[in-house]
Amino acid sequence: MLVLGIETTCDETAAAIVRSRPGGGGEILANEVMSQIALHASYGGVVPEIAARAHVEYLDHLIRRALKTADVRLTDLDGLAAAAGPGLIGGVLVGLTTGKMLSLASRKPLIAINHLEAHALTARLTDALEFPYLALLVSGGHSQLLAVRGVGDYLRLGSTVDDAAGEAFDKVAKLLGLGYPGGPMIERAAATGDPLRFALPRPMLGRPKADFSFSGLKTAVRLEVERAGPLTPAIVNDLAASFQAAMVDVMVDRTRVAMRAFREACGHPAALVLAGGVAANGAIRGAMLRLATETGVRPVFPPLALCTDNGAMIAWAGIERLRLGMVDDLSTPARQRWPLDQQGESIHHGKA
Amino acid sequence: MKILAIDTALGACSACVYESTTGQLLGFETLAMQRGHAEALPGLVGKIRDQLLPGLDQVERVAVTVGPGSFTGIRVGIAAARALGLALDVPVVGVSTLSAFAAPLLGDESRAAVAAAIDARHGAIYVMMISASGAMQVTPRLLKIDQAALQLPSGTLRICGSGAALLAAAARQRGLSCDMSGALDAPDISYVARLGALADPASAPPDPLYLKAPDVTPPGRAAAAS
Repeated sequence: MLVLGIETTCDETAAAIVRSRPGGGGEILANEVMSQIALHASYGGVVPEIAARAHVEYLDHLIRRALKTADVRLTDLDGLAAAAGPGLIGGVLVGLTTGKMLSLASRKPLIAINHLEAHALTARLTDALEFPYLALLVSGGHSQLLAVRGVGDYLRLGSTVDDAAGEAFDKVAKLLGLGYPGGPMIERAAATGDPLRFALPRPMLGRPKADFSFSGLKTAVRLEVERAGPLTPAIVNDLAASFQAAMVDVMVDRTRVAMRAFREACGHPAALVLAGGVAANGAIRGAMLRLATETGVRPVFPPLALCTDNGAMIAWAGIERLRLGMVDDLSTPARQRWPLDQQGESIHHGKA
Repeated sequence: MKILAIDTALGACSACVYESTTGQLLGFETLAMQRGHAEALPGLVGKIRDQLLPGLDQVERVAVTVGPGSFTGIRVGIAAARALGLALDVPVVGVSTLSAFAAPLLGDESRAAVAAAIDARHGAIYVMMISASGAMQVTPRLLKIDQAALQLPSGTLRICGSGAALLAAAARQRGLSCDMSGALDAPDISYVARLGALADPASAPPDPLYLKAPDVTPPGRAAAAS
């Protein structure tokens, strides 16, 4: 099965072509990503209108390049998968409209993909993983712990009540004058900093439900910045290290709690999966690896290029859904919000 | 040449297929709407595909309105047109909404100057003016309404587009005589196709014509404000 995937929900414009392998998992024939980081850097965050303008400018070129790299024609495809949300609506509309028109003209089915589902299923593309497994999905827009029980069958064990994890990294990097995107900047500064110098809070630690909260931690960093006076490189590095240590502690604690909830709801997880751009952070990866080892769960951390936003994960989710006959109508709307589990909706304060 | 034209930039979602050698419309669909273009467009193009036998494969060119207009609408149309161009392996050309508004008024008997205006909100319009002799007098741009009125020629003037009423009111205040004529909410899609047939794909790419920068506070000012 051969599917084109289109991703435009945030600040990455991406198109990829993935073929399913007979034994399970998939083969990425092309994976084109155009990052907009440089366009948004001076604003310290993603500007929706700037992002949408870039998506429409680049997307069709990336699709052409992906087809060429994969040496595939549109007529060879079995389906067209496009992320239909959740995300910045202006960008989603560009990608979804493109997918719909390619579908209409080529008479191939459209598969409208939930971006979060694509992140959650990536481990099956790379490692042909069996259900059920536990996924920690942490990015600039999302922070969730999911029990992945099947295609379209997700139980949200926890999510953030305020900022997303990546958002916290970006905001703290901004406070420290480290630039955008915050994750890599903080990781670099933290490498030479003292994680014990500043006693920062570990929000939600020990709570029975696996939710996250990051706004208090960000405020604590801001107060330390104000107290410190002029920021020297040493203070910046120590604050970055202290902040990153707090993030790691929170991730480990929340994932441990989610693991317990997972065992109660679905038995032993086949794996602990890490997904989303924050998964690129070495300290978090290391801590998650230790947690997996300690709890006897197989760690499956897809390569970084598949943790950050990409088209291959959308194509793969398209394959997963298409082989179950799950295709979508061309009137399918773009969605700014689209929780993976509808019943968990009301308790999460409008954040995902 | 068979041209598939698309417009989602303003107050309608429209598509048609036009045969430029005979001037015949082979398929035509339009729905007045202020929002929901993205959801409506695939259905419209699908209907046109079904009206055409043997289908969209016979289309030789795609034309799309590139703005000015709603930013989101512009992008929906361009994304759709580029995708169709890719799938059908045909060139895609961009047509400005202002030209599409003005086109039906040009070359008729009246020999009046024509202004096409689109409401840009906050007391501004996107505007283009063409003199009675047919010369481009004001190229497409964003202007405050009163500034646009100052550039209007004396003599008979015809104004079209969604900002026609705003510009006409300002013109009358200056004592100029003008008629509001032609399309007001959205351009006639068949003129998008006609202009698309005349356009040179090399010089009329399907690139957005926003005429307005993104509404973002520059970082320096944001830092100063906080």
